[in-house]
Amino acid sequence: MSERFFPDSMPPPMAETITLPWWEAAAEHRLVVQRCTSCEHTRLPPAPVCPQCRSEDSDWKEVSGRGEVYTYTIVHRTIVADQELPFFIAVIALEGAGGVRMISNLVDVNSDQIEIGLPVEIVWEDMSADLAIPRFRPVENR
Amino acid sequence: MGSMKDKTAIIGVGCTKFGEQWEKDAEDLIVEAAYEAMDDAGITPDDIEATWVGNLYDFTGLSGSVAAEPLKLFGRPTTRVENFCASGMDAFRNACFAVASGAYDVVMACGVEKLMDVGGSGLPVDMGHPVLRGSSAPGMFALAATRSFHEHGWDREDLARVAVKNHKNGAQHSKAHFQREITLETALNAPMIAWPLGRFDACAMSDGAAAVIITRPEIAKKSKHKHDYALTKASVLTMDVFLPMYREAYDWLGFPATENAAKQAYAEAGIKNPVEEIDLAEVHDCFTITELLNIQDLGFCERGEAAKFVREGHADVGGKVAINASGGLKCFGHPIGATGCRMLCEITKQLQGRADGAQVENARLGMAHNLGGPGSVCAVTILGLPE
Ligand SMILES: [Zn+2]
Repeated sequence: MSERFFPDSMPPPMAETITLPWWEAAAEHRLVVQRCTSCEHTRLPPAPVCPQCRSEDSDWKEVSGRGEVYTYTIVHRTIVADQELPFFIAVIALEGAGGVRMISNLVDVNSDQIEIGLPVEIVWEDMSADLAIPRFRPVENR
Repeated sequence: MGSMKDKTAIIGVGCTKFGEQWEKDAEDLIVEAAYEAMDDAGITPDDIEATWVGNLYDFTGLSGSVAAEPLKLFGRPTTRVENFCASGMDAFRNACFAVASGAYDVVMACGVEKLMDVGGSGLPVDMGHPVLRGSSAPGMFALAATRSFHEHGWDREDLARVAVKNHKNGAQHSKAHFQREITLETALNAPMIAWPLGRFDACAMSDGAAAVIITRPEIAKKSKHKHDYALTKASVLTMDVFLPMYREAYDWLGFPATENAAKQAYAEAGIKNPVEEIDLAEVHDCFTITELLNIQDLGFCERGEAAKFVREGHADVGGKVAINASGGLKCFGHPIGATGCRMLCEITKQLQGRADGAQVENARLGMAHNLGGPGSVCAVTILGLPE
């Protein structure tokens, strides 16, 4: 199992037919984005229709998991009781993902270090045998 | 596309006190607001031909009965409308369509929320897939604040000035949740929720209800408010992307839903220069940053200038456009389904020169604006006096 950052009691995400392949890739520590096979537009979260051309045809493209902080917040209220404070929510501009961003948590970082433009990389947190959640940490803290 | 301009009129308004109303339930609140609106219009429940009720939380599971049951409006239609924070104003919009079509002569739009019975310590938002389960509304709007600080050089004092202004206005309003002024220091020293947003950057969690009576102008001309009914100059609602955090095109410096709704509303009302023509606006201020960004998206100033606009007093009662003369969501409160109709009550009374709180002098044209979801829906209504 990986290093842990958030407690077991965090509310688990839900997988549906359209999002299950994304979570299956995540369980293998692969970050993928959905790609329209008609117009090449990439998207997250997984959705049945391309927002650019409205095609229903798509496949999955693996991306590096590197990126930079686009914006962030330092949260001082817990979601679950046994959580450490503060924790960090950030929008990550993903490298090589065709413009897809992701919302996630910053880990292995202190408040003073976080700034817009900070280079980050993915850290997979195994919450259970079949659920891995992507978080991000500064590249310089590897 | 057609237009709603001058096709409907508000002839009566009612609103409960907003706040923590532990001793009342949703039925009590909606009866209080609806009866006040009917008294104001000089009509009885028998005159209401159809009703639309805005309500977000499933505290009853009663659908149209949310309003039909407490008011005993049987044998005619009541429709529950749920569209995030724009639920109440969307109820109004649908009621206007019904009247404009000629299907009904007199209808009611209302809204109610009993947030104290929902529980929780902030407006709950389930952002769904894939990572952000359990995040909150403050967390989402804080992301916009951080980016705006970065791009525009704004700081926490710029946010605090919005809270100080809205508390100054709300302190004068008998129906506002909070009736006290605050200082810049109070706002800045409050506990942090999601940096850069602290406790005084967030709106109140409140219970409340509001109602408006709607008819066609030719009927309004014979009503109790024949000289000062409020004419609908524009009624617009637009949708935008539900999960903006995944999109490169989304710059977190504004809300496309508001920009689009404002453009359409100004075209419908024939407004060329909003800051000159509009006298007051109830602007969705679920957070202080939301008010600043909406002031820009509504075209009252250029992008990046909203903090200066507020700092220089242009948003004050007596300024260029009085923004949230009622105290806004921040100080008046935000019972979600009720808020849209509450704003319409405020604008109507302001135009009639009988505001319960700070009166905007010679108000002729007013706007009500809701943003919800957090940015996936926007409703804009513009009201004016008859010529
Ligand atoms: Zn496509």
